[in-house]
Amino acid sequence: MNQDQYRILSKRFGRRDGHKLAAYEADGGYRALKRAVGELGAPAVREEVKASGLRGRGGAGFPAGVKWGFVPPGAETVYFMVNADESEPGTFKDRYLLDYDPHAVIEGSAISSFAVGAKLCVIYIRGEFGWLVDRVQKAVDEAYAAGYLGRGAFGGAYELEMIVHKGAGAYICGEETGLINSVTGLKGQPSIKPPFPAVSGFLGQPTIVNNVETVAAVPWILEHGAAAYRKFGTEKSPGTKLFSVSGPVRRPGVHEIPLGLPFREFFTDWLGGMADGEELKAVIMGGSSVPVLTAAEAMETALDYESLAAAGTMLGSGGMIIIPQRCDMVELIQVLMHFYWDESCGQCTPCREGTGWLHKIVKRLRRGEGAPEDLALLERVCDGMAGLTICPLADAAVMPMRSFLQRFRPEFEALAAGRRATEPDSRWAREIRS
Amino acid sequence: MVKVTIDGTELEFAAGTSLFDACRTARGEALPHFCYHPDLSVAGVCRLCQVEVEGMPKLTIACNTTVREGMVVHTRSEKVRRAAQQILEMHLINHPVDCPICDQAGECGLQDQYMTYGLYESEVGKSDKVHKAKVQVIGPRVVLDKERCVLCSRCVRFCDEVTRTGELGIFNRGDRAEIGVAPGRQLDNAYSLNTVDICPVGALTSLDFRFKKRVWLLRSTPSLCHGCATGCSVRVDHEAGTVYRLKPRRNPAVNGAWMCDEGRDTYRELHADTRLREPLLRRDGALRPATWPEAWATLAAAAGPAAPLGFAVVSPRQSLEEIALFAHLAAVLGAPAAGVSGGAREADRGEGDDLLRSADRAPNRAALAWLGLDEPAGADLAARVRAARGAVLVYGADPAADAPGWREAVAGRTVIHLGTHRNATAESADIVIPLGAWAEKDGLLVNRQGRVQASRRAIARPGLAQEDWRFLADWLAAAGATEFPASLPDLRRWVAGRVPALAGVDLNALPPEGLVPGAVAAGAGGER
Repeated sequence: MNQDQYRILSKRFGRRDGHKLAAYEADGGYRALKRAVGELGAPAVREEVKASGLRGRGGAGFPAGVKWGFVPPGAETVYFMVNADESEPGTFKDRYLLDYDPHAVIEGSAISSFAVGAKLCVIYIRGEFGWLVDRVQKAVDEAYAAGYLGRGAFGGAYELEMIVHKGAGAYICGEETGLINSVTGLKGQPSIKPPFPAVSGFLGQPTIVNNVETVAAVPWILEHGAAAYRKFGTEKSPGTKLFSVSGPVRRPGVHEIPLGLPFREFFTDWLGGMADGEELKAVIMGGSSVPVLTAAEAMETALDYESLAAAGTMLGSGGMIIIPQRCDMVELIQVLMHFYWDESCGQCTPCREGTGWLHKIVKRLRRGEGAPEDLALLERVCDGMAGLTICPLADAAVMPMRSFLQRFRPEFEALAAGRRATEPDSRWAREIRS
Repeated sequence: MVKVTIDGTELEFAAGTSLFDACRTARGEALPHFCYHPDLSVAGVCRLCQVEVEGMPKLTIACNTTVREGMVVHTRSEKVRRAAQQILEMHLINHPVDCPICDQAGECGLQDQYMTYGLYESEVGKSDKVHKAKVQVIGPRVVLDKERCVLCSRCVRFCDEVTRTGELGIFNRGDRAEIGVAPGRQLDNAYSLNTVDICPVGALTSLDFRFKKRVWLLRSTPSLCHGCATGCSVRVDHEAGTVYRLKPRRNPAVNGAWMCDEGRDTYRELHADTRLREPLLRRDGALRPATWPEAWATLAAAAGPAAPLGFAVVSPRQSLEEIALFAHLAAVLGAPAAGVSGGAREADRGEGDDLLRSADRAPNRAALAWLGLDEPAGADLAARVRAARGAVLVYGADPAADAPGWREAVAGRTVIHLGTHRNATAESADIVIPLGAWAEKDGLLVNRQGRVQASRRAIARPGLAQEDWRFLADWLAAAGATEFPASLPDLRRWVAGRVPALAGVDLNALPPEGLVPGAVAAGAGGER
């Protein structure tokens, strides 16, 4: 079967010149922006995107067109921000877009900004993506020079200023209010809601924050129409989605698939199955924050928002982690708990204290100093965190913790009964042990 | 108005009321909390005030929720109680639990809430605790203990929003997050001790109060700060006749929840070595202790029917009732009276700001005007004293210290000093009468807004010192006056009858926030 027919977002991936304006324009780039500004007008653009059913690709899956509609009518100053703080363990799809197709991101951002009435657009790129900041900045410069951005663009009909902002290295700045605070120059930590950013965000003005992959789909939707986009995917999960796949499969990397694709088919046809000598044990479908599935559960589900929810997990960011049989699940959860402990902003007590506590209990188990009661304690600490904080970071730590405990309990029980963990063999675990 | 059902009781609240405040009203006590403060922005970080709102999928924090029509709220359900316990446990896992050596013990939010919501066995090993720096002196008045901190951010918000000085911040993240002072700075604004008041735990403590007294031994008396014309509502904390600290008493009409650091220091003058404890009479050129009968006999000879009083001055630090009674006494004794401020303590014009501190350090200047007493400036005062013949009576002031020409004007005349401290005027007087200091008596002050507020007696007077109004009333009686009060309420009724501005005001039943006579909606108005 021809997997290339689903390439909406990834058609320039791997092309040496794909990031340059000339190549992008040769592919028909910036036609959608011209049409949006010259013919359609903002309300029609909003309607088209809403009709396409495009859902936010950052993790929450909220319909983009609906989110745009939260800007209060008549708002004078609106800001648009592109969330390129891609930091979820297992997730590396936005990075491909920024690297191979920055102009699609820029055009999508410009159309989205136009649709919500923003005159300033900020592309917020995580600090660790230093080379991508340069890459995107060069593309933005090209777009300015070509008259798509800045003063005088479109004969003065739509003059958008676009800023590339480099983050300083915090996972939590990928939460939209954390991102806004970081751009403002404040400590990168989420703000309490309400008010929601669409009403009061950057500098107290309505602000829409969308994921890189979300905005990158917008030019295609305008070019081909909402109906064409809906030919891909399912009724409630329309379109295509990038999955970044890591783990010992034959073809790891970023794959674009129509939503609704059965996991079994994706695993077999796209990924080529497990690498030699490896056997599938578990799958984290949408980035480290979503509940893990056993191999059997994974094989019965399909890759769309609803099917994965029904299977007890989430599509999330599409950061798929394939876990082989030889992997020690307690070691893996230790790595993840280290991550959330390290990245908690520390504002809300349940998260600040809970992430550290979970990490300590798991470490204690692996040192062979655990007790059988520790498993109940882990669950109790999770109960004291879930749903009780300003942002979902606490839940993001609780979901893997609970699901690992629930689905791979014997591995935890063996440690709790006094068995000392085998020496950690991963580089991460060695670093974390200190 | 919106109708809200809280724990089964339907109540009405003004639209826009915070659910936190509504719950306080409905429950008769606040929800558990650390970060919420009525005079600061909502942070929503301690997560303790979560309640169940029907129709909402998750528990919600009351502090960031506004009441809505038809809202049904549960604050005492098992789910809510469990969440509070779990979150409290989170607050405590890295807390050092060093209550025996913590100054906050007894007025600590962690202790109080543990007794209400906690009462569980800790499951955190001591070795698992995150340790942070202790005993950091972060300013001239405040000590920080980072590991006791629950990171409620009240102190940070106070410095950002109230003083707008921004000294404090939360540095680092996760369970390594800690309160700190911005590099190169210290917490040295004029209101720094408010951070200690609003700190719900023992993270910020007062250098002055630290280790002086266990708080459960203290008794509190509602009072007023006498440090300037603002007249902040305060609480006097005292034990066995000694005042240990002043704390602001929340009064939205005057000082909100705050008071200045300088005002807090004023308790020290109550216990100064220079306090007057007994009458003093000049004999053989020196002031020597005397009994009250001796003092009365000397007073009658110096300023009585036989020897008319020459001039009387009173300080705007005395209470409304005292000034009124003193002015009446001066009239009975045949002397003109005037107000006089100045003196070492009340270096009259101090540093003010637009928050609370008034440049006018006299707490009751407005009362002088109400009672028709003027305040002659500098040399004018001396000239008027010089022009009057007879003894000079000084009440509460210290003109000998800094009124130009005063010493020359009173040279060779009998000076009677009524006061609390051995100041320059007392030292050069012939008769010194010891009276009560502000915390030792009831009295009314009129602040810069024209607001009358009550200050209450917290502690006893030292030694043989007399209560001011009784002394003045006794003197009136001795001087043959027909009109003198028999009690303080009696005196207040008499004062209200003499001051046109106070027509119809019952000075014996002032509301806790005081009142501005005649002002429309006085409770809400006025400068802060």
